[in-house]
Parts: sequence; structure tokens; C-alpha cells
Amino acid sequence: MEDFLNGYFLQVFVFICINIILALTVYMTLCTGQLSLGNAGFMSFGAYTSAIVTMHAGVPMPVGIFMGGLMAAFIALIIGIPTTRLRGLYLAIATLGFGEVVRVVALNLKITNGALGLSGIPSMASSLSDYASDWGLLDALRLDSQTAGQLMMCIVLLILVILIMTFWVRLEHSRIGRAFAAIKADEHAAELSGINTVYYKMMSFLFSAFFAGIAGALYAHATFFISPTDFSWHKVVDMLLYCVFGGSNVVWGAPLGAAILTIVPESLRSMAEYRDTIYGLMLVALMAFRPDGILSADVMKWFSNHHKKQNSRTEKGE
Amino acid sequence: MLLEMKDVVAGYGNITALKGISLSVPEGSIVTLIGANGAGKSTTMKTIMGIVKAREGTVAFQGKELKSEKAYQVVREGISLVPEGRQILQNMTVQENLELGAYQRNDSQIGSDMEKIFERFPRLKERRRQYGGTLSGGEQQMLAIGRAVMARPKLLLLDEPSMGLAPLVVQQIFDVIKDIHKTGTTVLLVEQNAQKALQIADYAYVMETGKIVIEGPAADVAQNPQVRAAYLGGRKSS
Repeated sequence: MEDFLNGYFLQVFVFICINIILALTVYMTLCTGQLSLGNAGFMSFGAYTSAIVTMHAGVPMPVGIFMGGLMAAFIALIIGIPTTRLRGLYLAIATLGFGEVVRVVALNLKITNGALGLSGIPSMASSLSDYASDWGLLDALRLDSQTAGQLMMCIVLLILVILIMTFWVRLEHSRIGRAFAAIKADEHAAELSGINTVYYKMMSFLFSAFFAGIAGALYAHATFFISPTDFSWHKVVDMLLYCVFGGSNVVWGAPLGAAILTIVPESLRSMAEYRDTIYGLMLVALMAFRPDGILSADVMKWFSNHHKKQNSRTEKGE
Repeated sequence: MLLEMKDVVAGYGNITALKGISLSVPEGSIVTLIGANGAGKSTTMKTIMGIVKAREGTVAFQGKELKSEKAYQVVREGISLVPEGRQILQNMTVQENLELGAYQRNDSQIGSDMEKIFERFPRLKERRRQYGGTLSGGEQQMLAIGRAVMARPKLLLLDEPSMGLAPLVVQQIFDVIKDIHKTGTTVLLVEQNAQKALQIADYAYVMETGKIVIEGPAADVAQNPQVRAAYLGGRKSS
């Protein structure tokens, strides 16, 4: 137990959680058939907003994180009006361009401290451990304040991930989710069935941006340092890979892909020279053998059938 | 008049596909629009639905102009289109496809309407849990019609429902159209199969290169020598 509670493992866990949220944001737009690559841009809006308001305006961290999400959603509302009318590659290129514009602007603004980045951002772990010590939790658990803070951050992030997942799964099973699925399957047919496609595409775009902003803010408070290079197009490629690797057609693909693709590079640290090669080979192999990603709709169907069978068996008392 | 188009000009980019179309569909009738490929029949349908915007002229439904309405709003007004090539959702089940047709409704009769559709198309009932993409062409057409009917339209637009189907299936589809008409739905039917269309229609319009060239009661149009020559194979027999 002591071994697992070291700072390194906890740090990796924090990144897994943040990456899961980021992978989900890519999935959210894919739900309506939109490939949006602007999520690094939205992430940086969330990160900078939360960092600046907590550092300079003394806003409490949870409020700052929420404001980061809102800020990203607000920006998405502005750029979404022209971009959600685009389709396929054109949307991808336009949103990718947006992300790069945001990065270059952040490089040149005073308030973001340019290329030097913002440092000394309030740490989520230490503020959580302060709470913990106020309540006397540290003594009860016999943990030092740093480990306890990180552990609590892991728990908070895990809860957030579960909440976001639950929210999205419920949304997919609602009337809105039906509209999303129809738009993804055939936008034209969806519109002819009386679905306001622009409205629903915008909705998924806004949700995606909001959670990307939240993830960015969490990232800022987890690393206490952000610079524009953290939000380059490379970051978007990572998010997209998580989502596609795990299976971009099912909601569970995003967390699975994010977890695997965060753990693998970490576990290959010992062979630093070959790390990227192995990572690349994994991606090529997966696309060759499972082009839909690890989890696909039929895998999920198999799971649910299996589950149902077991349930009916236990009901029959077998 | 349920639907009235007046001097509608519409097209795509530089191409003008409709060069001043006027047609009207009285409530409770079956009106057919026949013509060769590229005459502008499908564009007429798309213009009514608001997918293609009319550059000039007006489209009015129940006296209300549809000019600025988007397709989903037109559906809410009470017009449903069974598009050319069917456009059913391949990765959704038959039932999900039908439910989608009722998307803008929130009354309690959606379930009973679906049962009616299953009565009309027993094949769809057997396959209600199958994916749309696994159905045959005729079944897909039935599903597309069923989906459009699920919206409870006052006016049903059908764009070449017989396209690519076996003669026996074509007969079934036309029987279904007559059935739907009997339940009080007005029908505007676009067809290349002029013979079949003229048999069930009350009134007919013949289109050629973006214009209406002949119109009249379906029985008269069927006797028109030009129509017989061009669409009904009349010249061969004489």
C-alpha cells in the first residue's frame, strides 16, 4: 500500500483522469459526427482563466475551475456559429487553426506571461491537504501532507470523471442522445425527421468545449505551471488518439484509450529510446486489427447481452 | 389549397434547376409530378422542404409562406419527405428509425401509430430489431415511408419511391401510397414510372428542364399524345 501511495503513481493517476476528460471532449463532438480539433484551444482558455482568476483575483479554486469551463464554452459559442456549419475535414482544419491561433495569442499576451508561461498557480493538492489537516484527517490517516493532498486530488478527479461519464451516458440515452445519434448517422435524414441539426451540433460542441475548459483548469492546478506549448496541436492529436484507440463509437472507449495511452509511455520510461517506436507500433497494430478501436458497438452489445444472461440466471436461481 | 408554389426559381450555385414552377396541391388529393431525369423534380421537393432555397417566387403551405423555414421547421408544419434513395439510418434498428420519424411529436399515440405501421408492413414488424442496413431495397423503402408517416404529416412528399425496385414490390409500394391517402393524408408523388403514377393520381404535372410543360387531371394527361410518346411508350405501339 505504501508503495502505491508514492508521488509518482499518484501523479500518473492525476494525468489519467485529466486525459480521460480530454478524450471525452473529443468523443462528445464525434457523437454528432463532428471532428473538432480545437480542444487544446478550449483547454488553454480554461487553464489560463482559472489560473489568472485564482492568482490575481483571489477567486476560490472550485469557482475558478468552473469559470474556466464557462469561459471555454463562451468562446465555443462565438467560434461555433461559423464552424458548426462546416463538415468533415473543413471543420477539423478550421478548429485546428483556432487552437493554433489561441496558442500564438497566449504567446504574445502580457496577462498570460507569453512564452515564459504562468507559474505559481495555486496547487489543488496543497489546498486539499490544507482542508484535510483542518479536519484532522492527516493525523487520522497518518499521511504526510504532500501525499495526502495528492491522494485527495486523485479522489476528487476520479469523482469528477465519474460524474462527467454519468452525465454523458444519461444524455446519450435521452431524447437529446437520440438526436445526436441520428445526426451522426445521417445529418440529412435527421433534419428531414424534424431534428434541428444546427442546434444539437452546437450543443455537443459547447459541452465539449466546457469540459475541455474544466480539464485545462484542472491541469493548471495539478501542475502549477502552464505555458502555451502545453496546448499545441500535439495535445489535440493525443486527445484524438485516446478516443480512437479506445473506440470512438462508444463512450467507454475514451476512458479506456486515455488510461492505456497514459500508462504505456510511463511504463516504458526505462527504455526511453524505444518508447515512441513502441507507442507508434501499438497504434499501427491496433488500427490494423481493430480499426474501430478496442471497444466497438458490437463488443458493448456482447457485454450487455452477457450481463443480461447472467442476471436472468441469478433470477431463476441457477 | 394545401400547398401552393408560385413562379419558383431555385437552383444550386450557378445552375438554375427550377425556372419558374407553379403548382398546387389541393387537400385530400394525390398529385403527381412526372418527368425525365434532370427535369427538376427532386429539386422541387427539396425547395418545398427548405433544403434548397427559392431565389424567386413563393411556397405556401396552408396559406403560410415557408420561405425562410429550415427543413426541420417545415416538418413541424406538417410536411414529410420520403427522400430519393430512401436515406434510412443503416446503423439503427427498424424501430429506432421509426421512432426518429416521430421526433418532433410528444403526444401519447406514438406507440399506437407504430403498431399501425407494423400492421401495414408486417415485414418491418418481423425485422423491428434488425439494423436498417440489413433490409432489402423494398423493405428500406417501406421503412422510409413508415418513418415519414410517423411524423403524422398533412402532406406526404414521395421522391421516386419505386426507384430500383422489382415490379411486384413497386405494386406494393403504390398500394401503400393509396392506403395512406385513404387515411386522409395528401400526397405529392414524384415519379419516373409515369404509368403507375398517373393511375393513382388525381392531378398531374409534367416537368421538362426546370419548367412545367403539361398539367391537367391525371386521366387527361395519360391520354396526352406528347406524354404518351415521351413517358408511356405510346409511339412504339402506334
